[in-house]
Amino acid sequence: MSASLAPECSERKERYDTCFINWYSEKYLRGSTAPSPECEALFKEYKTCLNAALKEKGIYDMIKEARKTSPNGGSGGAA
Amino acid sequence: MVKFFENTFSYDYQWPAVTLAYFLRYPNPYSTHVVSTDTLSTRIDPETGTLHITRLHLKRGKLPASVARFIPKIKESYILEKSIVDARNQTLKTENRNLDWDGVLSVVENQVYAPSGPDTTDVKTVVRFESKFGRRAEVTEKRGWLGGWGAGSVQRSIELVGRSRMRDGLQRSREGMKIVLEQLRERGFVGV
Repeated sequence: MSASLAPECSERKERYDTCFINWYSEKYLRGSTAPSPECEALFKEYKTCLNAALKEKGIYDMIKEARKTSPNGGSGGAA
Repeated sequence: MVKFFENTFSYDYQWPAVTLAYFLRYPNPYSTHVVSTDTLSTRIDPETGTLHITRLHLKRGKLPASVARFIPKIKESYILEKSIVDARNQTLKTENRNLDWDGVLSVVENQVYAPSGPDTTDVKTVVRFESKFGRRAEVTEKRGWLGGWGAGSVQRSIELVGRSRMRDGLQRSREGMKIVLEQLRERGFVGV
């Protein structure tokens, strides 16, 4: 697993990543494409930690802004 | 200025394994410049069943001297990755772009992964390489940042370096993907 930008979030990230990869490979890729709450609680814990770190580094707003726009008009992955 | 770089490559693996490798591609021996990867959001579109994932990568690396001359002090770069997995139609669309050089040099990489045979997956890569130097120069020249450099020649020099680095980078990312795919095969993940 890759490291987190914020070392203090690494454990939470690893727990979430493990959950996500299991869900993705065992369920989503096998046809369970309905929204699933399986990893939500773990993601919430991780995200709280990560957002605090992004704010501390002063890049939270830059990322938030960048996420709104897709330079190629969304063809390649605008959510 | 917008330029395109296009390339198609085929992996000898089934599409599910290639998509899994995509999300697990860091770390690998070819990605030592990638410091971290964090997930910003994931959601499933309830109607289409598509999975939307946004991640943030931090990459570190020295700039080539010819570019560092114009853009000093950039030692790391944040990359925003947006992916859409469509399991029903077996396509993975990805977009990666650098965030913090945005005002000077913007590189947007789009990829589409789709099956090309029973055991092969094609990936088509399109890179939009964009230098906004002309526009930037108007702003910064007032502060004397550019000095006597002609914006046009600076732009050309940055684009030239950017394109050759992009080719090398694409080759390395493929080698990294292959290693991750091999690991998945060893662990018994053979697909769906």
